[in-house]
Amino acid sequence: MRTLRRTGRMPAARVALAVLAVVALLAVLGGVLAPQDPLAQDTTRVLQGPSGAHLLGTDYLGRDVLSRLLAGTGRSVFGAVESVGAAMVLGVVPGLASLWLGRSFEWSALRVVDALMTLPFTLFAIAAVGVFGNGLHQAMLALGVLLAPLFFRVSRAAALGLKQAQYVEAAELMGASRGRILRTHIAAKVLPTIAVTTAHALATALLTVASLTFLGVGVQPPAPTWGGMLASDLGYLAQQPWAPALPGVLIMITVGALNLLADAVRDSGAAQAAEPAAGGSAGGTSTGAPDDVPAARDARERKADERVVTV
Amino acid sequence: MNRATVSSSLPSSPSRRSFLGLGLGAGAALALAACGSSKGASGGTGTGSSVLKWGWALPTSWDPVFSSAGWDVHTLSLVYAGLTKLDPHGAAVPALASAWKYNADGTRVTFTLRPGLKFSDGAALDATAVKKSLDRGRTDPKSLVAPQLTSVKAVSAPDPTTVVIDLTHADYQLPNLLAGKTGMVVNPAAFTTNAAGLASKPAGSGPFTLTSYTQNAKAVLRRNPTYWDAAAIKLSGVEVYPLPDASTVVAALQSGQYNVAQIPGSQVEAAKAAGLEVQVIPSMVVATLDVNSSKAPFDNPKVVEALKYAIDREALLKTQAFGHGEVSYQPFPKGYAGYDPNSANLFPYDPDKAKELLAQAGHAGGLDVTLTTAVAQGEPEQIQAQLKKVGINAKIEVIPQAQFTQIIYIQHDRQVAVDQFAGRDSAVQAFQVLFGEEGLMNPGRTTPPELTAAVDKVTRTPLDSPDYPTVLQAATATAVRSTPNVFLYTVPRILARTKSVSALPEFTVVQRFEGVSVG
Repeated sequence: MRTLRRTGRMPAARVALAVLAVVALLAVLGGVLAPQDPLAQDTTRVLQGPSGAHLLGTDYLGRDVLSRLLAGTGRSVFGAVESVGAAMVLGVVPGLASLWLGRSFEWSALRVVDALMTLPFTLFAIAAVGVFGNGLHQAMLALGVLLAPLFFRVSRAAALGLKQAQYVEAAELMGASRGRILRTHIAAKVLPTIAVTTAHALATALLTVASLTFLGVGVQPPAPTWGGMLASDLGYLAQQPWAPALPGVLIMITVGALNLLADAVRDSGAAQAAEPAAGGSAGGTSTGAPDDVPAARDARERKADERVVTV
Repeated sequence: MNRATVSSSLPSSPSRRSFLGLGLGAGAALALAACGSSKGASGGTGTGSSVLKWGWALPTSWDPVFSSAGWDVHTLSLVYAGLTKLDPHGAAVPALASAWKYNADGTRVTFTLRPGLKFSDGAALDATAVKKSLDRGRTDPKSLVAPQLTSVKAVSAPDPTTVVIDLTHADYQLPNLLAGKTGMVVNPAAFTTNAAGLASKPAGSGPFTLTSYTQNAKAVLRRNPTYWDAAAIKLSGVEVYPLPDASTVVAALQSGQYNVAQIPGSQVEAAKAAGLEVQVIPSMVVATLDVNSSKAPFDNPKVVEALKYAIDREALLKTQAFGHGEVSYQPFPKGYAGYDPNSANLFPYDPDKAKELLAQAGHAGGLDVTLTTAVAQGEPEQIQAQLKKVGINAKIEVIPQAQFTQIIYIQHDRQVAVDQFAGRDSAVQAFQVLFGEEGLMNPGRTTPPELTAAVDKVTRTPLDSPDYPTVLQAATATAVRSTPNVFLYTVPRILARTKSVSALPEFTVVQRFEGVSVG
């Protein structure tokens, strides 16, 4: 919570949050705010430039581009949120569990994660759609499976150091249950790291949603999406060379804001992330080297895990 | 044939895949523009030879017997020749055969071959080779041209320049039929030794010979000096590429990647503005809806009729083809012998009448249908909106282009599909494909008896008979009134070319390149 409060004070984060708030509003109310029916065709007015009646012009079937952009926000954003939600569930829980459920579970989970990390997002999602039918949910859940290793690695790396922190060991010695330790001592410390990852993953997922809908995967026409609009606009560059810029800019701004927010959370949480280790040694009895060695190893492992994640 | 969908769908599918390529293409175009116009002009003449670089489509197979797309006839005609070919208006004229003659009752036709004909590998092309090639098309168990040759009883070669075809009944369509894939003469040496190899290594006697082929990428052909009409071929070679991306085709022509390319109607103005020559060539292609009359609700003729009145073809033509083409209610374009002037405005857009017909069919409260297509954007969306106005809620189902043939033409389990008919070399062949019980584009698998009788009459009428147009038009009139398929608008072949390429001959059925030069 302290990290989030600190994040809120950073100007970059405020800008990012403001942009994301607007996007979230459009995602929920886009269809209502649309000045016209996004599906209403007027084939006597196709591919027209901006005017009073159509602020951003009309598309190849005479539909209002502004209305389609607004109405398409929800489908694009919710797709990304759905996949990241799935990734969190599939990643964080096994990530933390891998530290407490024994070596065989840990080994198996790590190998599964390694295997999943070799798969490309877009191709895997297309394959999933091919098998399970052409729907956004199928594509997004498939994407969630591929994003899960990110959360697995990050949550595991963050918890790895905490597991052997002296106050956690103290809690264990005092008979605290595993659940209580996870809830009170681990979760709060891991949360900022997961928040950073979530923001990054949302950006990645949004781009993948845009790519998939660009390819016509996951969405049934004539439903508007940012990626789908970008794809269809490219067929009419001769008439409207500026048209692809509209969905393109929306995608860019949203993804940029998510990345900005992720950076801000990371920057503000960096000091706190160091706290457990510092607190651990300060609060300890300074018995010296033997205690420091595993701590150093954990730190190295954690660093290695983070490196994998950022690749 | 059915595969005209290829022509409509390909532009958009690669466009999506090559999003990055677009940027690269634009960059390349700018870079080339900066080099001055001479670069574009030199695109086809860089090596001093005259190579036509044709952005068009690559065939499903280089073996005419197993090619599964009617559209392939254009590329296959580069490497194969037949006994006959079609003139610009679609009439059969001599090719490998210098003449042919029917017997009095139309049950036997004798073709006389030109002397000294050779396949591109130098082997003699005589009557025996023609017989073997035709027999393979008729008898191979997996042949896709066999259904067209059911009227052929026997082929014989009494001497090296005479081919005699005996027919089960009078069939005057044969010279037209043999001008297409059905009659392309394949070198027996190739199919007796390695028939499967023909799919990528054609063995014919056409104006060009394939020298290299990369599937889905490029086919390189060089002039065949042994072609019977080699004097008319001015090009030293042809390179054929898959259908260019709509968004980059003009830039690709400017940069010299192609010097001739098929472009969609939306790019005509841009191509002209870029200094390219644009030819809008009337073709046999017509946009259609394949309606399955064996599936509810289209098993009710009133619903089918309502569908025909519910489509605003003018709006479709204007929006989808930018006005290039003509509204059509029948399978043949204006100017073709089978065009029935009395069907010129058969089902004018009339949403009220459509609603009334639906009400009569018991669907006053509306009905739900599924509109199947390989390309979702554009035409299906517009048709969906038009149908909604009369109370038909159409759900668009997108199927992969690669499975379109299998799902629509083989399985026949969809209600209505957005398609294009590419036309055929023979009018009767067109009827068989569109309306025959085995016709690929007749998913309902039924043919009204009156249409069967009308088509039979066409088959038995000599093409040079004064009655032929009347008989053929009568069959057309019967077909469009008694069958469920909905014809929408004609689709001309729009070819853009650089100024270095001379004008292209305007053949309605198959694009040919006699007399074309790149200079």
